[in-house]
Order: sequence, then structure tokens, then C-alpha cells
Amino acid sequence: MHTGQCLCGQVTFTIDAEPLGARACWCRDCQRIASGSATINVLFPEVAVVYTGEIGTIAMTADSGNTVERGFCPQCGAQLYSKTVEPAGMPMRVRAGTLDDPELMAPQSLIWVESAPSWAPLDFKIPHFEQGPDSTRINGDVQ
Amino acid sequence: MTAPYQGHCSCGAVSLEITSEPLWVRQCWCRQCRRIAASGPTNNALFMTDAMTVTGDVAWWDYEAASGNRIAHGFCATCGTQMFGRNAARDGAWVVRLGVLDDAGDLAPKSAIWTSEAPDWATIDPDLEQFEHQPPLPPRKD
Repeated sequence: MHTGQCLCGQVTFTIDAEPLGARACWCRDCQRIASGSATINVLFPEVAVVYTGEIGTIAMTADSGNTVERGFCPQCGAQLYSKTVEPAGMPMRVRAGTLDDPELMAPQSLIWVESAPSWAPLDFKIPHFEQGPDSTRINGDVQ
Repeated sequence: MTAPYQGHCSCGAVSLEITSEPLWVRQCWCRQCRRIAASGPTNNALFMTDAMTVTGDVAWWDYEAASGNRIAHGFCATCGTQMFGRNAARDGAWVVRLGVLDDAGDLAPKSAIWTSEAPDWATIDPDLEQFEHQPPLPPRKD
């Protein structure tokens, strides 16, 4: 069982599953909510993640074209998660920083690298994708 | 790209304009920043507030930071985008989260602080000046 919370503690959560993966997203909208960094996201089956407390949500169309719901704590503004409403069935992205063990899983790939700022220190030991995880891979044969 | 800078939160409910250049830009790996900002680091530009115009509903949360300073985070009440940071030790200046600027131009972090709390897999530009904890405040001019 993994646990986590927002900064102020108003929202807590448990996750009764192991991560399906982890990745960093440099899309422009993630940079906006992540104070200029990539969001670092640990992926879990949505049914395994249980939040307690009041959560603010906002729906948006992501750069991928998918309809996404983002959750945040309305008291401290901590970014909590992103989940894809349409198409359904995709893993939920839990912001790694909200996990009590934020190092549970290191990012395995970088996505939307085409919109990363020029100064971003990208880790070339892991795969880079121009856009989403199914887009063109741009850093060779690293697995 | 130089001042004026424009910016907004993710949903557009809060917007800002800044008519001066920042005093500094640096990134922070502290645990609190990583909790609020989708895992961090936060990248922060310190601007004088008298050069800043903010429109829209900003919510604030304040707490005692790892540095011991009283810190307040300002975020969009509608979408939660982290936008501002106030520090009781810095009169008349707020940090603006770099991601909310529509075009940050040449603004980029020049130092990294609280690197002691960065994850093992963090990539930190070796050219940045690095501090394991909070850097000392510069001497006051008054």
C-alpha cells in the first residue's frame, strides 16, 4: 500500500497497487502547473487510488487532444493527479511529489520534449519522445 | 524577450503582467515545493511587486518552510496552478513560478537550492550554482 498527501494535509490518499510506470511530461500546460518544470507522474490503475478530503478539479483538452481531469487541493493548491476522461481506461497519473515516497519510481521516459525549454537538463539515459508516448522517439536506441 | 512579461494560469482565470526584470531566477528542490508543483523543482523568478499587476482570484496558503521562513504560496483558486511565492523575509518582492509566463524569453534558473532533497534521478545542470539548503540572504541595503 502506498500513501501520500498534499502539502497542507487536507487531502490524503492510498494506492493499493504497484506503479505501472513513471514518466516526465514537458508539455506546455504541465510546465504551467509545475512551476516551469516537467510534471513527474507515477502511473497507477485508477481504481486503486483512493483520495480522502476535498479536491478541486478542472477539465481540459490536453495537447494530446484527450479530455483530461486534473485534481488539486483547494486549500494549498498542491497538484494531485491527472486522469484521462476520454478515451477511458488509461492509467491515472499521480504527481510523484505528493507520494510519501516521491522516489517510488524514477521516470522511465520523457514525453513532449519538443516543448521543453532550452535550459531543461534532460536525462539522455532514458527515452525521449517528441510528443506523447506513442510519438516519434528522438534519442536513438536507448531502451 | 525582455519585460514586460505576460502570464496566466492554466485555465486563464488569473493573469499577470510584470514591467521589470527579475532580481534572480533559481530552482528549488525542497520537499514542500515538490509536493505542490507536480514533483518539482519549482523554477522561481523574484520580481518587485510594484512592477506587477495581477488580475483574478488568487488563493494563498502559508506555512513555515524548511528554511524556517514564513512562506505563502499563491495559486489560482479555479485550477490550482501555482503562480506566486511570498517570503516574510523579502519585503516588496514575490517569486513568480516560471511556467506561468507566456514567454519567459531568456529567463532560466541560475542556481539550484535545497539539492539535498532532490531525488537520486534528478538531472541538475552542473553549470548552476548549487546549495544543499537555503542560500544566505544578501545584505540589506537600508
